[in-house]
Amino acid sequence: MTVYMSMGEAHRRLSEYVNEFTEAIASQNGAALKPLLAISSNSPHRESVASAIQVFKDISRLVKQVDKYAQLGDMLQQHIRCMQSFQSKHYIDAYYALEKSSNAFLQEFRNWETAWAVDALYTIVYEMRTLAEMADREMEINGKNPDKLKGAGSFLMKVFGSLVGKGPKRLGALYVTCQLFKVYFKLGTVHLCRSVIRSIETARVFEFEEFPTRDKVTYMYYTGRLEVFNDNFLAADQKLMYALEHCDPQKEANIRMILKFLIPVKLSLGVLPKEWLLQRYNLLEYIDVVRALRRGDLRLLRHALQNHEDEFLRSGVYLVLEKLELQVYQRLIKKIYIIQKQKDASRAHQVKMDIIVKALKWLEIDMDVEEVECIMAILIHKNLMKGYFSHKSKVVVLSKQDPFPKLSGRPVNP
Amino acid sequence: MATVAPENAPKEVPEEPKIDLFEDDDEFEEFENEEWDDEEKEKDALQQWEDDWDDDDVNDDFSQQLKRELESNSENN
Repeated sequence: MTVYMSMGEAHRRLSEYVNEFTEAIASQNGAALKPLLAISSNSPHRESVASAIQVFKDISRLVKQVDKYAQLGDMLQQHIRCMQSFQSKHYIDAYYALEKSSNAFLQEFRNWETAWAVDALYTIVYEMRTLAEMADREMEINGKNPDKLKGAGSFLMKVFGSLVGKGPKRLGALYVTCQLFKVYFKLGTVHLCRSVIRSIETARVFEFEEFPTRDKVTYMYYTGRLEVFNDNFLAADQKLMYALEHCDPQKEANIRMILKFLIPVKLSLGVLPKEWLLQRYNLLEYIDVVRALRRGDLRLLRHALQNHEDEFLRSGVYLVLEKLELQVYQRLIKKIYIIQKQKDASRAHQVKMDIIVKALKWLEIDMDVEEVECIMAILIHKNLMKGYFSHKSKVVVLSKQDPFPKLSGRPVNP
Repeated sequence: MATVAPENAPKEVPEEPKIDLFEDDDEFEEFENEEWDDEEKEKDALQQWEDDWDDDDVNDDFSQQLKRELESNSENN
């Protein structure tokens, strides 16, 4: 759609934008500067500026007025070029222009002692990540190897570095950390999270509770996920619960994501969510997993894993859920024990291997006595079952006291 | 905010050009504000956890079926 715009009108629009920018810089007004930098997000200026620059092409003189207050004339020019490319959907070009703009901005930012421009810097950081993702997509389509997001990650690390210090700018560090997490998770290079995490958690200048709630919640979500990947369930529980407790109640999508990872953690600690929760947040893929644990139903667990294999693999929780098998075995054997106890309490603590084989067969699991002995050995070793088994008599002899210790928030022994 | 989410739902997409771009479906949405009303009592999600579910009740369907199976004299093992 071509809209005719006169040179005069184009000049007017660009001047307006440049004037607003200059004014914001001159008066160090962060709230005024921030919206001027938006590209992909709600940008009130992009369309107007992009159309104007098609007509009034040479703005090098116009932007010079900024240089009176800070070396940002070139930065502004690149930023406008970025808007132009973005508007015409040339995302690789847009990213290149933004990269120049962002680096120039960061250079000046380092000179400002107060934190007035931190919020505006957030926009730069967000747009670098977002445009890099879009540029990478364009590269894929063109058959090229995408590497812009990786480059954006390097820039974000530079930004992070500029915020580590004693001054008020340090409060921006957690936001940038979270943007880095999003980059690394998207690229699958999560091991790179380690260095920023170390900085946040050990640097003396940072006091975690001082950071904005938004960033603390996001941080705990991602570090919680990392703990899940590493099977550190107690740490994962603590972090994901923090995220859940403090998450904005209106952000249901985020609450759902936290629960998506928290549930497998809780299950591994012997804590079950009520079905209501799974329905409420549309986490139906866990319904059968939870039921299987409650019942001691191995067949149901295996079916649930199979039916939602893709989903569980994508989010990385498959192995965590698979390991729940041991807890399901515990529950099944316990049920057999209770059923026997109801019939004859005096002999109930002795469970024949053949009975277990029979129960498993009923659950479509084909195991011989030796394989069952293996499972019994593991259960005893991990303190999910107390007792011993006799290979000769093919019997499991359960302890008379608390033969099936509950986890209740403890992880299974490794 | 225009976060570029993948258009494809979690289906297998092997036809895409060979890329190593890892799609994180679980990317946290950006929050609009730095702070919000942190009223804990509105949070239903916090009260939905049971750690005492592991009881001795065998009156459910599954347990009853299990009981019948164990008692049966079928020799089709």
